[in-house]
Amino acid sequence: MTKLTYTPPPHLKAEDSVSKAMLDVIIALLPVTIFAILYYRGSALLTIVVCLIAAALTEVAFRKAFNKKPSLNDFSALLTGLLVALCLPPAVDWWIAALATFIGVGIGKELVGGLGLNRFNPALLGRVSVFLIPSLFYSLRPLFQDAGIYAGGVDAVTQGTPLAMSHQGADMSILQLLAWNDGGALVEVSPLMVIIGGAYLLYRGHISWRIPATMIATVFVLSILFMENPVNQILLGGVMLGAFFMATDWVTSPITDKGKIIFGIVIGVLVIVFRFLTPAVEGVAFAILIMNAFVPLIEKMTKRPSFSEPKATAATAGKGTAAAR
Amino acid sequence: MEVRTFEGGAHIPHYKNYTEDKPIEKMSAPAEVIIPLLQHSGASCKPLVKEGDKVKIGQKIGDSDEFFSAPVHASISGTVKAVEPRTVPTGGKEDCVVIEADDGPQEFEMKQVRDPDSVSVEEYRKCVREGGVAGMGGAGLPTHVQTSPRQPVDTLLLNGAECEPFLTCDHRLMVEKAEELVKGAELMMKSIGASKVLMGIEVNKPDAIEAVSEKIKNRKDMEVIPLEVKYPQGFKSHLIKAATGRDVPRGARSADLGCIVRNVGTTVAAYEATVHDKPLIERIVTVSGPKVPKPGNYIIKIGTPLEHIIEQCGIRDLEGTKVVMGGPMTGLAQSELNVPLVKSTTGVVVLPPEMVREEMTYMNCVRCGKCVEHCPMLLYPNEISICAEAGMHEEALEWDIMDCIECGICAYICPSARPIVHLVQRAKPEVEKLQKR
Repeated sequence: MTKLTYTPPPHLKAEDSVSKAMLDVIIALLPVTIFAILYYRGSALLTIVVCLIAAALTEVAFRKAFNKKPSLNDFSALLTGLLVALCLPPAVDWWIAALATFIGVGIGKELVGGLGLNRFNPALLGRVSVFLIPSLFYSLRPLFQDAGIYAGGVDAVTQGTPLAMSHQGADMSILQLLAWNDGGALVEVSPLMVIIGGAYLLYRGHISWRIPATMIATVFVLSILFMENPVNQILLGGVMLGAFFMATDWVTSPITDKGKIIFGIVIGVLVIVFRFLTPAVEGVAFAILIMNAFVPLIEKMTKRPSFSEPKATAATAGKGTAAAR
Repeated sequence: MEVRTFEGGAHIPHYKNYTEDKPIEKMSAPAEVIIPLLQHSGASCKPLVKEGDKVKIGQKIGDSDEFFSAPVHASISGTVKAVEPRTVPTGGKEDCVVIEADDGPQEFEMKQVRDPDSVSVEEYRKCVREGGVAGMGGAGLPTHVQTSPRQPVDTLLLNGAECEPFLTCDHRLMVEKAEELVKGAELMMKSIGASKVLMGIEVNKPDAIEAVSEKIKNRKDMEVIPLEVKYPQGFKSHLIKAATGRDVPRGARSADLGCIVRNVGTTVAAYEATVHDKPLIERIVTVSGPKVPKPGNYIIKIGTPLEHIIEQCGIRDLEGTKVVMGGPMTGLAQSELNVPLVKSTTGVVVLPPEMVREEMTYMNCVRCGKCVEHCPMLLYPNEISICAEAGMHEEALEWDIMDCIECGICAYICPSARPIVHLVQRAKPEVEKLQKR
């Protein structure tokens, strides 16, 4: 007897898949990645390769430990690796890059259950961890000094970035801002390339305009209130990467339309708070991670009513007509 | 032309090109029919015949005293071979009357027994009940249940949306039987006490819109409502919202909405039951699929085994395919070929192996939001599916799982290939228990 496939409806399936979407995000990051490699040459290439390898190894190892099938073919680990690399400065030590990736993919994602169950953006979590670890090393240094352990990597995150220079009042032309910036993270080499990637994601329908638009607009407007050059403030640092690639991460951003708008605005506000009201130079990563924690709350608050939800006005109107009859 | 629609929904490839231009054609009678005594929601009929009885085409073979029930009739002439449980399209077993054809007449003789212009409302209602007319758009309630509403309704809304991919049986019916449809609509309108008829038709059927518009051009009480081609436009609640602008709150009855929705095929069947005394013993069915040698819109007898239909359409090899009764979004895949066609079967769709959605391992929800974007009920299928999967029924209820109409868009579009509809169907009975507590 012929074997018929017997599965529940629906029997049609759209072409969309997680792998295709992740691959699209990687494609969207290619312009800025290539630009960074061309500009920084070997150091950028090394950082990127180290992060990609670390991401793949971490994922395979963690999934093996949890007895799960490897999922490299969904490209999510590689994407996290690439994002971590782009957030690091070119001169970073290779082991810091690897550690950041390990924390992002291993602890930020796989340890909490894998893609979809992570509450915090894995790439940002990895990046921020190595930002904080050096200070931890500093405070513990007396303990390590005798053992001769090198507490390095500090320089990697404390060098002068264009954003810091802008804080100090250095002037830059818009073209210079868009095209290449020396210093800062790899991705800061060209906000224009990031914007091109973001436009691709919007065109492909993978992200909504709501988060990037509200986040960038908020930073722009508040910068004016703080008497800062708003164009500098949106083009420098991680605003563009954060707005298009980090804050829009499917898993860690609100699913509701209104929620996305609230999310984008508050991140923008936090970025300004970190930049102008605290000693920190940059705050995009922290702003997004903080808001990641609020996603479930934001979603509950902005839940739209069901199609079947009785509408108060309509119900009263209906009663009115019935009474008139 | 003003085109109306609703919020949400999705543009799904409609694959109607295989059969949309194929005129309605009669399929040869099978050697044996299997007629289930229950073909809709409601009470099952008691058999009126027993093994060995001779039956004639159109003869009533099952009936019930319950109000929520419609009688069933012999769709061929022959001998009752058995009255026994058989597998039906839903996958379960129902008592069926199995009839083996003899050399008696196998076609119903159409002659006018009543004048549609002078038939009384009472007579019409009685004919609809006696003719065993039941919803032919897929869901299927006995039609007489709603032909005599206790509260008045102002609008009869005819459903000609036919939003399911592949299906074109309603499309062809509107093109070829526009006359009967309009006369049937008038009878139905009088019976429910409505003052106007709206006919919702998706704009991918311009010839149907034209044919029906031509027939009603001199009437002030009937209007064609062109609808955007968007799934699930033909679901009752969304048709009402699109055509009348009225909200459809949960638990609302037709009378509360002032509107009764009828499928176009049902309307014509009710007309034929009244004017020709023809019970619902056959219907138009779309048989389609990319590899089907002879796709078409066939008049097929109720009770015809799937096997006969497959054979008549020239399908030889079914290996690895999926045979769906109904449309591919909400229809049911069949595991065997001896299941009968029932009154609510709109189509038989054969999906070739490359289109078959395998029993796959699905992934976690990655919260991409595509299901939320397209959900026509404005729900959160992502949250609902997670709660349903984890057995968190209280939370599922909070996310309005009971409002889900199981249209299938979420599962169709999900990049993680999550079987959302299946999870919802599995959780609903549990959530219902919770509600009753």
